[in-house]
Amino acid sequence: MPYAPEHDEIPNPLRPGLRAESAPEPCTIIVFGASGDLAHRKLLPALYNLALGTHLPAAFGLVGVAMNQLTTPAFVADMREALSKFSRVKPLDEEVWNDFAAGMRYVGGAFDDDQTFEQLTAALDELDRSRATRGNRLFYFATPPSTFPLLLKQLAKHKLINPPLDPRFTRVVIEKPFGRDLSSAKSLNRLVHEVSDEKQIFRIDHYLGKETVQNLLVFRFGNSLFEPVWNRQFVDHVEITAGEELGIETRGKYYEEAGILRDMIQNHVLQLVCLTAMEPPVAFDADAVRDEKIKVLRAVQVFEGPEQVLKNVVLGQYQAGSIAGFDVPAYQEEKEVSTGSRTPTFVAVKLNINSWRWDGVPFYLRSGKRMPKRATEIAVHFKSLPHSLFGGGDTQPNLLIIRVQPEEGITLRFSAKVPGERYRPRTVSMDFRYGTAFGSATPEAYERLILDALRGDQTLFTRKDEVEAAWKIVGNILKVTESAEAPAPFPYEAGTWGPPEADELMQKDGRVWRRL
Amino acid sequence: MNEQGHGEPISGGQAPHPRDELVIRFESGIDLNRIQQLLQQARERSGFSQESVCTLNLVGIYYSTASYERAQAALESAGTQHPCRLLVLIAEEKTPTDAVSARISVVRQGGTISLERIVLTATGEAVRHLESAMLGLLLPELPLVVVWGGRAEGDLLNRAVESADRVIIDSSTRPANALIDVAQFLAAGAPLGDLAWARIFTWQALAAEVLDLPNLREHRGNIVRAKVTCAGQVGAEGVLLAGWMAARIKKIEVELVAASEPEAPSPSPGGGDGQTGGASAAALAEGQITHFEFESPPATFSLRREKSILVAEVRGDDDGEVVHRVRLPLETPGRLLGLELKLLAGIDDLYASSVQAGIKLLTAMKPPKRKGP
Repeated sequence: MPYAPEHDEIPNPLRPGLRAESAPEPCTIIVFGASGDLAHRKLLPALYNLALGTHLPAAFGLVGVAMNQLTTPAFVADMREALSKFSRVKPLDEEVWNDFAAGMRYVGGAFDDDQTFEQLTAALDELDRSRATRGNRLFYFATPPSTFPLLLKQLAKHKLINPPLDPRFTRVVIEKPFGRDLSSAKSLNRLVHEVSDEKQIFRIDHYLGKETVQNLLVFRFGNSLFEPVWNRQFVDHVEITAGEELGIETRGKYYEEAGILRDMIQNHVLQLVCLTAMEPPVAFDADAVRDEKIKVLRAVQVFEGPEQVLKNVVLGQYQAGSIAGFDVPAYQEEKEVSTGSRTPTFVAVKLNINSWRWDGVPFYLRSGKRMPKRATEIAVHFKSLPHSLFGGGDTQPNLLIIRVQPEEGITLRFSAKVPGERYRPRTVSMDFRYGTAFGSATPEAYERLILDALRGDQTLFTRKDEVEAAWKIVGNILKVTESAEAPAPFPYEAGTWGPPEADELMQKDGRVWRRL
Repeated sequence: MNEQGHGEPISGGQAPHPRDELVIRFESGIDLNRIQQLLQQARERSGFSQESVCTLNLVGIYYSTASYERAQAALESAGTQHPCRLLVLIAEEKTPTDAVSARISVVRQGGTISLERIVLTATGEAVRHLESAMLGLLLPELPLVVVWGGRAEGDLLNRAVESADRVIIDSSTRPANALIDVAQFLAAGAPLGDLAWARIFTWQALAAEVLDLPNLREHRGNIVRAKVTCAGQVGAEGVLLAGWMAARIKKIEVELVAASEPEAPSPSPGGGDGQTGGASAAALAEGQITHFEFESPPATFSLRREKSILVAEVRGDDDGEVVHRVRLPLETPGRLLGLELKLLAGIDDLYASSVQAGIKLLTAMKPPKRKGP
């Protein structure tokens, strides 16, 4: 737990100047949806890797809760198999695994069944006794969003949420999407606050756990070189791309309800906008950082009415095509997708941020499924030279590219003289690559975020007002694009960067998307 | 200048070498341009001639090839965690021939060169050329960290301290009273780091952690006594932990004692980076801490090492309850050096004050039996 003195207490005399990161307090993590994909692919490997890196307290327990009726040994075996497939560190360390597995328990049952929660309470009490986990609990909702209200109510009903000032902490990690529009997000937030306190709630957006996303803060506020030019005087426009070559895989049912706006824009992409556009926080703590992010969201121009939406937003849906030599089906041919579906799998948006710093600097966002490759990046395009001394050369405006994934790093494009007699400029690159400049393996986003939640650090989690402000922006788009009168998403061939209409969105401003 | 093999580098080692090392020998003077050329040749052989991503200069200084070889794995492990140019200076003054040899190689990792290694071995009078050779081979602008493999004294160390952003020693490889020399360097403002200090981070963190537990915070203001117990004899880590308590808490009475024997024959704490692969802590070596206790009446906080787990208990409050357990990280010198390399410049004030307080406690004790040099 981060050191956070209450105002009348004596400060910890042993804490100042320590270089070791503090381990979390003893606790039990309860994963709802333990039989699901997220638990197998991400959560369990993240927890095991934290144990391997000695970041978990030795007094640690893990309770899996899901509908399936499994015994604890069967759950442990299932998780071991998941680790052998999905852990970033292999092979399994038997000593660490045995210690980790000894604290695992499983409770099977329906979430609306009181007996499930009675069994859960018994399992937690037993772990407190056998593993000295001291009544500290971190509940993780790795379940469909529709279950969140029920889980919150059941936890409250069975007195599993301690008051915020209780020495035994209770924290709840809630996966995205948090609501499906502004109204449902507000309603879920109301329920959250009926049963707990904002300080106990950790709304997770795994993009914020990525080192490269966190590095954006260090890059901007840890260097004196860039911040002075990070504004409307020097920046022409900002381009944010979050594309992946994958389709919807086995998530047809979820995707039909969500679509790209809910799946990517409302959370991941708007978080990237916030970190790119925010003012320096007064301190590096949870509320100071989130205070600045919310100011960005509030300054984003909200589209009013169909005309503004249709002028600034382009939706697309992938058709059959080819990616890396493989034929892939159209969205409407995917499992659990209805024929004639109007769910968008691509979006391009032009946003304006009405602030002193960014007025007149458009932020172009695009995100899609079945793009030619996986690429998430922020490209800051600087203004053209006011006058070119070197006629006939290639004096492109400077460009700063922050690659979030893959090939995480930063590239600065600038002009250099081509060797020879004449002054002929050409654009060249200065490159920083995360994976090579720092030799140690980068932890998975979930490792960082779970550890922060165990320590009670909310900096990289979204606050109530942030979620609602993001829904306000996206909600106004959805109101138009999901109306009966809205045009269908434009088709685009799988393996391309979206429909031609997305190019036109840039072209009408005299700009083009970067070729990635 | 003479090069063996008529001006061409000779292949390294008697047996085929896995690292494709290039070797050159100079009998008078050192041709730095030739070393740079060979480095470029090594890069080209690796297939990544333009892809070096060094972020610091790491210089290791040793007084024998054997002591470098003991530390080699640790340096390389830390060097690949923090891509760098690794310059190793080996000063063998007692060898009568005046000569310098250079061994040059690169290590590839993740599609690029993560470590450029130049090992300079000087014998006889040629030892005096090492310092200027080092300065000529440093990558410009990048931080300079010196890993010092000898006793904390001498002209070479003085000069390293003057030019380096940070100098890392390992007090555990010396008798505890060698910390007196360290204290003098620190008092003069030397930017010293110490692997012995890195080894006690877990003890410190656990002690601080228990005082952060809500039901134990009330004991923060009344810590009156502490006792640090080392295996076999009082070692540098024990002195540093005791010194830390004395530096942090006014009017505390701190006791340093040697008690139980080590778990196994002592591995050299400054030695190689064992590839054990697991997360278990190394066996307890002579001089390392076994037990740390502090009292805030009526409560006594007791931290003890049980194999790879540190356990904290509090008595007199929640009578004998285990309040915290922490798994000890794998304590290889490479991991510890990697930790120290996270801080590339400046003085660790807490370390400096802990050394000063620690040697006061040490000098108040009966002098410990000295180990070898």
